[in-house]
Amino acid sequence: MAVFMQSLLSGILIGGVYALIGIGLTLIFGVMRVINFAHGDILMVGMYLTYLAFTSHFGIDPFVSVLITFPLMFLFGGFLQKVFINRVLNAVAQNQILLTIGLGLIMSNTVMLIFTSDYKILSTSYSSSTFQVGGGVSVSVPLLISFLITSVITVALYWFLLKTDTGQAIRATAQDRDAAQLMGINVKRMSIIAFGLGSALAGTAGALISPTYYIFPQVGSVFTLKAFVITVLGGMGSVVGATLGGILIGITESLSAVYISSGWKDVIVFVLFLLVLLFKPSGLMGKSRT
Amino acid sequence: MAILEIKNVSKFFGGLAANADVSFSVEEGSIMGLIGPNGAGKTTLFNCITGYYPPSKGEVIFDGRRMNGLDPDKVCMLGMVRTWQKVRPLAKLSVVDNVMVGALAHTSSLKVARAMAMEQLMVVRLEHRANFLAGGLPIGERKKLEVARALATQPKLLLLDEVMGGLNPAESEELIQLILDIKERGLTQMVIEHDMKAIMRISDRIVVLNSGEKLTEGTPQEVVSNPDVISAYLGESHA
Amino acid sequence: MSKTILKAVVGLIVLALLLVIPKYVESPYALHMMILLFLSVSQGQSWNILGGFAGQHSVGHAAYFGVGAYTTMMLMHTWQIAPWFGVWAGMVLVVLVALVIGSICFRLRGPYFVLASIAVAEILRLSAINLTTLTNGAEGILATELPAFKVAGVVVTDFSTKVPFYYIGIFLALLTLGITYWVQHSKLGYFFQAIREDQDAAHSLGISISLYKNIALVISAVLTSLAGAFYGIYVGFVDPPTVLGLDVSVQIMLICIIGGMGTLWGPVLGSLVLVPLSEALRSNLVTDLLVRGGVVSADSRVGIFLKENLSHAHVLLYGILVVLVILFMPEGLMGFIKKMASRRKQEAV
Repeated sequence: MAVFMQSLLSGILIGGVYALIGIGLTLIFGVMRVINFAHGDILMVGMYLTYLAFTSHFGIDPFVSVLITFPLMFLFGGFLQKVFINRVLNAVAQNQILLTIGLGLIMSNTVMLIFTSDYKILSTSYSSSTFQVGGGVSVSVPLLISFLITSVITVALYWFLLKTDTGQAIRATAQDRDAAQLMGINVKRMSIIAFGLGSALAGTAGALISPTYYIFPQVGSVFTLKAFVITVLGGMGSVVGATLGGILIGITESLSAVYISSGWKDVIVFVLFLLVLLFKPSGLMGKSRT
Repeated sequence: MAILEIKNVSKFFGGLAANADVSFSVEEGSIMGLIGPNGAGKTTLFNCITGYYPPSKGEVIFDGRRMNGLDPDKVCMLGMVRTWQKVRPLAKLSVVDNVMVGALAHTSSLKVARAMAMEQLMVVRLEHRANFLAGGLPIGERKKLEVARALATQPKLLLLDEVMGGLNPAESEELIQLILDIKERGLTQMVIEHDMKAIMRISDRIVVLNSGEKLTEGTPQEVVSNPDVISAYLGESHA
Repeated sequence: MSKTILKAVVGLIVLALLLVIPKYVESPYALHMMILLFLSVSQGQSWNILGGFAGQHSVGHAAYFGVGAYTTMMLMHTWQIAPWFGVWAGMVLVVLVALVIGSICFRLRGPYFVLASIAVAEILRLSAINLTTLTNGAEGILATELPAFKVAGVVVTDFSTKVPFYYIGIFLALLTLGITYWVQHSKLGYFFQAIREDQDAAHSLGISISLYKNIALVISAVLTSLAGAFYGIYVGFVDPPTVLGLDVSVQIMLICIIGGMGTLWGPVLGSLVLVPLSEALRSNLVTDLLVRGGVVSADSRVGIFLKENLSHAHVLLYGILVVLVILFMPEGLMGFIKKMASRRKQEAV
């Protein structure tokens, strides 16, 4: 039972970070109907930013560096949207997908040129520290901190989307781009903000997992695929769905790593993904198609 | 003899009935008009007949065969073909290649298919455009292309979904002539149309749909003089 | 008509030249480049049938490439079955895999299909890593020595040089080119393209969507598995990332995107661009040129850095090419050439 509780708990904690990744992807999809295949690579860039900040003279703690990563990645995402994505908004879906795949390849290989393809480890004083919750269940400190930060960001994001004018404009754009444009919403600006936000969330997720994950240029592809699984599971375009989807995937992974094997956990996630695509393509939270 | 019988067909989306208990039959060789205000369920009925949606209830009998649950391709192979309200040219293929795709339903020889395609292009008077890209045609010619492509599948029943929509009067007149020509050849047609004058001219009988239900059915004369039809239409245009 | 004859004559001359190259060119490196070119053409053509003609943009073709490569290598490694027999088993297996994938993925459209195709390839890659008893896991399989190829007891070749691989490569490239030509000029090609252009319209014209998508997939998958088997035997080594990785799928697709999807010569053009470029990067030709041209000095920090790293970054080039092609010539080189030609024609008129 303790083993079950333990893996459930770590599943939920890692699921919080997955939720951030998923929300980022779903925001971008919602507003632009573009599936961002560079999402994991954007996360990877966030990881390296954190690594740089940590190994620089200032030795900035990975969790503190979120304060730098978030705005920088926002600008980076806005730049990607303005220079590249914006040109293919009306192109066929496969061209959009290919463009983002290409951008992802450029990111991961540029990083590889700069940092080589060696695995980097960002070890902080607390990287492997845990504390007991009772009942034989312990919590990894970095996972807990990252979960708390994730929660704060998610709440702030919900507030932003629900309460601010810009947030409402973004939601309107996601609901109906043409109608939003007719209502005088600056759709182009909303797209830049959405891509910026999506990238900032992915980059932040990268910063948050960097104390517990290997950092290497190709790490992105795993997360791109995970991000898809999460958003498809939650229903493409649904922020609430992505939040739940992230936690669900975290739990699935963590439980299957314990009860099946860690080598097969990703396989199980992908099989789950195919099953959802087959039987409920609108996602668990989406309205079912007629 | 009736070639198509619609028996108590209903189609529900969630709780909403897009078609409710619609019944009528189409006589072989005739033109059946299908009219009704926007959202009356005309295109949904086409989709139910041609296999795009399975009807929630009721039966579609074509040529003595129950069609419920058959896929659109099977429906086409059995002799029922439809055109689309929003035209769907195979944009990157040439006009003649578009029509050949239809002709290939019943032959595997490209040579035969090309000859059949050219024949249908003559019928719709589009032979001069044979080697143009379908995506580049003006709307009037795209509508004709849809008809030619459908005819190439050698149907027994042709379902036309607003082929005159978006056309100028001269183009509409051409299509009316085309529909009458096709009738001359003995082909049964069912036509959805918004242009009341046109539908009155071409139809042998007319079915009127309103909010998914059959409001009435009869000859064009009977339909125009029916007070329910007038109020359904006026209700819409004055709303 | 004379234009067709001209084309045929030019084609035959090129083919004759290609066939006699190994007689006069002895450089193994030159032959290696040609073999890579043939491999790329056959990969591209195989993808083209499904992606270019039927419009199903699979980003998971590594699945078929990998299954072909792995089956042939495993049979040779474990049971000493010669690859020219093993490859048939690979093809049978790939048909089964393709039909399973088809029955799952073809219910989905557009981006969902792309995602599903990636997921399937990833499942296979991870399985290859985890099924260590079968596939030797992440370490991969090193080929045992190839047996001599005999016909009626006479040794045709013992594979001691690159020449036999050259001819197998050219055979594969011609085979895929021929099959594409045949598809393009048959009912299949028309139906594939109709599905690509408008699935619903195609359906209404009597085309069974699932049947023809699966036909396109099976043709494409079998040909890709042949290329995979050839790759495995030629390189003599397979491991999960090199034959089942996402990079492989992207590279296969890229050949067609650069050249022009849904055209007969697109994958050939794409290969002619992609293979030399990425080989130039891989073999440090670019760094050498920069050094020789005096742009950077070989001993400077930049020079050393480039020498050490640029060869790993040929994938960077793929990325840049994809972005440039999508933004500036979404129809690929073939589309670009056609556009130029029609512009010239118009100017002439």
